[in-house]
Amino acid sequence: MDLLQTSVATVESDSEPYTLVVLAGEADVTNSGALRELLDAEVAKEPSTLVIDLSELRFMDSSALHVILRANRTMDRQGGVLALAGPRDPVAKMLRLTAADQLLPVYATVADATAG
Amino acid sequence: MPERSALNNLAFARADSEIRSSHDTAEPAPAATADADRTGRRVNGPDQAVPPHPSRPITPPEGALLFHTYRSNLSKVRGLVMQQALAAGLTESRANDLVLAVSEVAANTLRHTDSSGTLAIWHDPNEIVCEIHDEGRITDPNAGQRRPPADATGGHGLWLVYQVCDLVELRSDVTGTTIRMHMKVKPPDLSE
Repeated sequence: MDLLQTSVATVESDSEPYTLVVLAGEADVTNSGALRELLDAEVAKEPSTLVIDLSELRFMDSSALHVILRANRTMDRQGGVLALAGPRDPVAKMLRLTAADQLLPVYATVADATAG
Repeated sequence: MPERSALNNLAFARADSEIRSSHDTAEPAPAATADADRTGRRVNGPDQAVPPHPSRPITPPEGALLFHTYRSNLSKVRGLVMQQALAAGLTESRANDLVLAVSEVAANTLRHTDSSGTLAIWHDPNEIVCEIHDEGRITDPNAGQRRPPADATGGHGLWLVYQVCDLVELRSDVTGTTIRMHMKVKPPDLSE
């Protein structure tokens, strides 16, 4: 099994459909290239909201974070929003220490991220 | 307890750069020491007459060492660190901190060198130490000691290492880079 499992869905919601990327396993420098390709492809479709569900992610290193921050930058430029949802404690701490949580919204759950 | 970590890191960061500058000007010995660390052999006997210089990494204790060579599998590296950290008595949260630190340093081996890195882990009742050695070279003595801008898409790795560890020793020269990450088993509670 791959270290990092990913899935992508377009989710219909009460308001607008959003793109949901689910990451599971461990995201590190050995798979950040694949993560980047995946996020680039989704961001290129210019969704208004892209949510990355981190609840099944056991580990994330700074190279995975950088890929997410790059995607966030592009989403910003396109006028969209990238949000993170459900980070476990170690990932949440890392987002805090790097101050990434000041740059993009971090929600407890995907439902919170897409509410309203 | 972010205050405690911040204080610790401030103190260590300062001591660290002082230590490093005295190295750079004074003694040519670090290469030999680094080599001893990498192979696990002692250059000096255990009863060496020379008192351990604070700037020279102590020789790891014999017999209680775990050595691992990695080239691409960082998950394995993290697994070993987690296992040893919990065995040493770290809380799960601090074990996770150490796992992140070691993984960030090991990731640099993959990013910046074409060869393997080695991980050594040892612990005693007071602390656990993880040491990574590789052939990479860090030329900025202050690397990782200032927080990169949040939107920087690089440079957070070493910053995180300094943030989560109780003490970081970094030595880098033409022979490569050795980084030791220390975590106290029972950290003093400075919040009281």
